[in-house]
Amino acid sequence: MNAAIKLFMVIVIGVEISFIQSVPLNLCILAVSCCYLLIKRVSIKSLLYLIIYPIIPATGLLVSQLFYGIQGPIIGWVLFTRLFAYVWLGATFTMTTNIKDLAFTLEQNFRLPSKFAYGVLTAFNLVPRIITEVQTIRHASLMRGVTMQLWSPKLYFKAILAAINWSSDLSQAMISHGFVEDAPRTHVEKTTIRWSDFAIFAFWLILVQVPIFVF
Amino acid sequence: MTTVSVSHFTFTYQHRDQPVLKDVNLTFPDGKISIIAGPSGTGKSTLLKSIAGLYPEFANGDYTGAITIGNQNIKQIPATDFSGLISMMFQNPNQQFTMTNVYDEIQFALENRQLDPAIIPERIDDALKFVNITKLKHRDLAALSGGEKQKVALAIIIAMDSDIILLDEPFASLDRQSRADLLHQLTRLRDQKQKTIILVDHDLSGYEKVVDTFFYLAPGQYQIKQLTPKEVAALLVPFDNAELKAVSFPLPNAGDAADLVLDHCELKQNDTTLLTANQFKFLNNKVTLITGENGIGKSTLFKALTRLFKYQGVITYQQKDIQKIKKKKYLSHVALVFQDAEMQFVNITVEEELALSMQNAVHNHYSKDEINAMLKALQIDGREKQVVYTLSEGQKKKLQIIEMLIMGTDILLMDEPFKGLDINSLATVVEMLRTASQKFGQTIIIISHQLSGLETLFDYHIQFKNRQLAYKEQLL
Amino acid sequence: MSKRWSLRNIILIALIAIVCGVIFWLTSFIYNALTLILTPIGLAPAANDISLGLWIVAGPLAGAIFKMPGVAIFSEVAGAVVEMFLGDQWGVMNVVSGLIQGAGAELGFAVTGYKKYGHFQLLMGAIFTTLITFTWDWFKNGYSSYGAGLLIFLFIVRFISVWIFSDPIPMAINKLLKRSRAIA
Ligand SMILES: Nc1ncnc2c1ncn2[C@@H]1O[C@H](COP(=O)(O)OP(=O)(O)OP(=O)(O)O)[C@@H](O)[C@H]1O
Ligand SMILES: Nc1ncnc2c1ncn2[C@@H]1O[C@H](COP(=O)(O)OP(=O)(O)OP(=O)(O)O)[C@@H](O)[C@H]1O
Ligand SMILES: [Mg+2]
Ligand SMILES: [Mg+2]
Repeated sequence: MNAAIKLFMVIVIGVEISFIQSVPLNLCILAVSCCYLLIKRVSIKSLLYLIIYPIIPATGLLVSQLFYGIQGPIIGWVLFTRLFAYVWLGATFTMTTNIKDLAFTLEQNFRLPSKFAYGVLTAFNLVPRIITEVQTIRHASLMRGVTMQLWSPKLYFKAILAAINWSSDLSQAMISHGFVEDAPRTHVEKTTIRWSDFAIFAFWLILVQVPIFVF
Repeated sequence: MTTVSVSHFTFTYQHRDQPVLKDVNLTFPDGKISIIAGPSGTGKSTLLKSIAGLYPEFANGDYTGAITIGNQNIKQIPATDFSGLISMMFQNPNQQFTMTNVYDEIQFALENRQLDPAIIPERIDDALKFVNITKLKHRDLAALSGGEKQKVALAIIIAMDSDIILLDEPFASLDRQSRADLLHQLTRLRDQKQKTIILVDHDLSGYEKVVDTFFYLAPGQYQIKQLTPKEVAALLVPFDNAELKAVSFPLPNAGDAADLVLDHCELKQNDTTLLTANQFKFLNNKVTLITGENGIGKSTLFKALTRLFKYQGVITYQQKDIQKIKKKKYLSHVALVFQDAEMQFVNITVEEELALSMQNAVHNHYSKDEINAMLKALQIDGREKQVVYTLSEGQKKKLQIIEMLIMGTDILLMDEPFKGLDINSLATVVEMLRTASQKFGQTIIIISHQLSGLETLFDYHIQFKNRQLAYKEQLL
Repeated sequence: MSKRWSLRNIILIALIAIVCGVIFWLTSFIYNALTLILTPIGLAPAANDISLGLWIVAGPLAGAIFKMPGVAIFSEVAGAVVEMFLGDQWGVMNVVSGLIQGAGAELGFAVTGYKKYGHFQLLMGAIFTTLITFTWDWFKNGYSSYGAGLLIFLFIVRFISVWIFSDPIPMAINKLLKRSRAIA
């Protein structure tokens, strides 16, 4: 399915469940998302992560409603299941699509100027380096007798400074590799939008409404 | 016509009272290989980036004068035609990649050039083959060794197939064999495809038969001039390999003292084993050289020794497992000079960097005056307020070496510290390292591909080959 | 820094957002620890309100550095897309949150017609951000079913957090960056 349409669909459903207080609805979304991820053969490890990750915040929301909620415990369970629904719903997008697909389709099918698509993509590609950089900064400063805690402002500042230098490097790199703002490019990986994309979009959107009326 | 001419070129950076290059006039002939040599920090990269059309836009500075290709001023050439005409390989390959893996990066470049998608895969394969790195085709860029990155950067330039190719120290991180191979490939580009190639390098070994025109950037004059054959011959003398072949090193004796020891240690990168060492000693108070092919695992070894990389087995320092010593304490005994200088910097300006080292030095080997003398000897004095990131690559290396020497750790690991140093600076650094070792008893272990001018520095030579470390008598 | 959506500026704005995001991601254990501590007394939502400032810092920071319309919202959205792909507990809702939070900072600059980018605009941004995000949590995180006392408490905590990360902190970082001459 086209990445942008898929993202839009997932967001619409996500926003919708934010306004509807229904445990069955959340559970349905959870179940469907789970099936989808299984069909797509997402690794067991990732699935486990999806179960464990939301536990703390979801429990926090639940307990808080039990203590202070004025509409009874049901809201607590709505919030609890909703958080899981968000995470699993989000995973149907993030675990089966990558940012490259999204950038490519936004560029090719939605007329997003290529400088935005590739600018953000390039920046995203730097994430592993930023993480290594933060670790290396801490290590390098230990060698100089300075301990930098994770919350030390200097660490952030240094990381942002490095980022600023990279932004200049990266744009020079792109230009040196022939990138020209607003100029046409060819595409090896062509992205498309088919009628079936819209059909799937409509299908799931309608299906989501079913539990609302059933329960 | 792809003759590149530079006329009345004067480049001045903001906040500096002197231009880096003043009224330079040069012509790089069509279809030839030209080289620009000269001390670090004199403006070679600045000139190349200006020719590549990246400066002044991306520099805090501007130039007067003109750069022309054929008879067209580069400022008049439409951006879309530019990459077909000129492409440039940066001095620091880390700065030149925008995608995550090798294939995507080359593909991105070719799409930008509006190549027909049908022929792109073939082009990519050819370029990789040309540089002899077909095996790196689908590798992640972030997981490449320093030398591998340089080869990939070069492959992209090959794939782009521009008429004029600018190379800024393209071989600085390459092992000797790769360097020789690629130098030969450059001549193929010239002879078979009539490319105009302009390159910058400090290490001039192997260029004699390859380069058509030599230029030299004379220090202090802000000028670049073409050398006569006689001057070329004089310039190349220090890069004659004859002396290297004659050098011979002792082998260690069983009783030699060693604080740093690999004890049944194994280094693995994903599933490939890089190194197995049963019992390997790094000798105290000596200067030891480590050589080995690109990608063999040298940098990884240093990272393991400084606990930046997880290994199997045990590494000991003074008979203690290094994992059991507090990290900060351990790193005050064993420090690393990173392959990429920017990784080392913790502060913003040159002054602050030096102050930090002086303040936290483990042993105060150097007085303030001595440090100033070191800066002066390496010609990076008078730059106290300069932001470290704006230093030239060679200047970064120099600052990095000085600040790590000031720390005065017992053991100093240096990952390609001579990259980008000109021959005079190299001699000065060699002097400093000898002093550190002989006068202060520091143990210094150095990874280096470059060997010219270093004959007198090393006490021992370790060769990293076939997943093993071994002391060797010969250098080559 | 030229006021233009040039390639370099786009990359830089995205990077600033990402760096902020990565730092937040690295420190997310603080959020979880806070939640763990507060859960037994039922005050877990306060963790959200206390740490919200950290989430929104990219918008005001990018706005104060670049001083052009749309930057705050772009940086928040770009940051959110990245965070979504890094994976955290909000998944795809990050993008919605990014839009909403960016809108707050953006409005702060918009009220004075994008002519000034000072303390007042940042303060306004903090107020808008607090109001808008609070409304969103009213639905999304069930704030609608809390009593008035708790709501006022959460609101005040949130405002303080948002303000600190909207005004003093971006201003300080901006100043450091200027001093380092990293940005003109
Ligand atoms: N993060 C990583 N993930 C996977 N492989 C890696 C990673 N980093 C390095 N490698 C691989 O490990 C091997 C050793 O890399 P290392 O950087 O130690 O080489 P090196 O001997 O220092 O080479 P050079 O002389 O080119 O600097 C290389 O083949 C490299 O591609
Ligand atoms: N943004 C800047 N602000 C001030 N000075 C700068 C800036 N960028 C570069 N310089 C200075 O300009 C000079 C020329 O730099 P350049 O990188 O061109 O040198 P280089 O000849 O390539 O040196 P190397 O051999 O070390 O790479 C250096 O002295 C450097 O410190
Ligand atoms: Mg240079
Ligand atoms: Mg290396």
